[in-house]
Amino acid sequence: MKPLNLLALLLFLGGAAWALTQNERSVREIQATYYRAISPFLTAGSALETHARSFTDEVEHSKILEAEVEAMRKDYGRLQLIESQLRTIEAENSRLRRSLDFKERTKFEVVAARITRRQPSSWWQTVEIDRGGKSGIAAAFTVVTDRGLVGKIDQLGDYRSSVVLLTDEACQVSARIEGSPEEGILSGQRVHEGSPKLRLRFLSRDARISKGMRVFSTGRGGLFPADLLLGEIEQVQPGSLDTEAVVIPSVDFQNLGTVFVLTPEKEQP
Amino acid sequence: MIRYTISILLLVVVAIIAQQFIPSLTGLYGSRFLLLALVFLCASVTVPVPVMLLLAFVCGFLTDAQNTIGPHGGNPEVYTRQVEQLRFGYSILLYGFMGYLMHGIQPLFRQGQWQFSAMLSGVAVFLYLLVEYLLINFIRGGLAMNQTVLLKIACSAAITMVFSPLVFWLLFRLADWSGYTIRMDRLKKAKPRTLVA
Repeated sequence: MKPLNLLALLLFLGGAAWALTQNERSVREIQATYYRAISPFLTAGSALETHARSFTDEVEHSKILEAEVEAMRKDYGRLQLIESQLRTIEAENSRLRRSLDFKERTKFEVVAARITRRQPSSWWQTVEIDRGGKSGIAAAFTVVTDRGLVGKIDQLGDYRSSVVLLTDEACQVSARIEGSPEEGILSGQRVHEGSPKLRLRFLSRDARISKGMRVFSTGRGGLFPADLLLGEIEQVQPGSLDTEAVVIPSVDFQNLGTVFVLTPEKEQP
Repeated sequence: MIRYTISILLLVVVAIIAQQFIPSLTGLYGSRFLLLALVFLCASVTVPVPVMLLLAFVCGFLTDAQNTIGPHGGNPEVYTRQVEQLRFGYSILLYGFMGYLMHGIQPLFRQGQWQFSAMLSGVAVFLYLLVEYLLINFIRGGLAMNQTVLLKIACSAAITMVFSPLVFWLLFRLADWSGYTIRMDRLKKAKPRTLVA
């Protein structure tokens, strides 16, 4: 080997060793710097993509869109009415809770976000949204849709962030089964064949659960709030030590469009 | 040489940004076109080893900055068996490995047979994804290997390989523009002067 090549190889290995020995905080700082650097290009690219898509959509489906807008207007009016009724009920509920000296559940505000990119890497189940730290979002915040839990915030930029989906093996949620005392840990699977499915582990050996039962978050573990719908049991697999269940997620991960990030409610003055 | 190296580094930056907008193909087992890896593989065969290693470091570093997922967090009493993640920096080594693989057939490339390099880029991507997946299995325990995974890897490699002539063409244009001579031994013998690609 030529001396120059050997020197280059040693420098390369030294650089790789430096990268491999970075602690979690340094890695996050590197990622934040990287995100800040490429953010303008991604924003510009996303805007271009959105314009192109909306243009083709408009050309192809202008009449359909018109009908949809009309239907949405009607829905909007109806939902406004329902919302005002809910506010009244919420206020009444709050008064009752206080009077009964119940511990009030942690409240959240929601930040609506649009999915800008889906699964940008080969093996991780992630998406990117168009909201970041400037919108009051922080790492590990919960992301939901009206159908249930989507995942949690992972990398955070000022105007964008990435979300680890519930379908990723690395995203674990403490879960309970409705109508049963069973609790376990729900997570995605390493390999998905067809539509993604989840696996609920560490249930008791004699768990009395069946297909169709709904699975909710427990709120334990400090990551996700309680009572978020996670999915529905599809299959029960009893084992010698514990029982596992295959769960169909309640959220349609193939067609995610808009999601909501739960942020802690600001203190009222 | 310096201008060519800088232009390749710029091409790498463009590739990693463009990569963000390339969706995975759900109809082909979620496979994807790995533009950054392809740019690195094609470029690595046109440069000497030290520049190839520099490119491997940059590409691996950017790949990990883009893709590394943070720790799960949460109360360890509840989440007792958290899933391990690959360490930041592993891609640097994988890119280095791929670069040396491409360099292995650099003599053929220099004889003008770039087709072999194009085919090897597909093989290198296949090995890269396979090793990456095996590493994930190794650190997380259990081997979850099935036909879907293999087809995903194979399709990604094939799609990426198809575009390699285009990237080679682009690199030759860049070399031309920056005044860099990509050594082509056979053609050099055929003509009295070296080919300035």
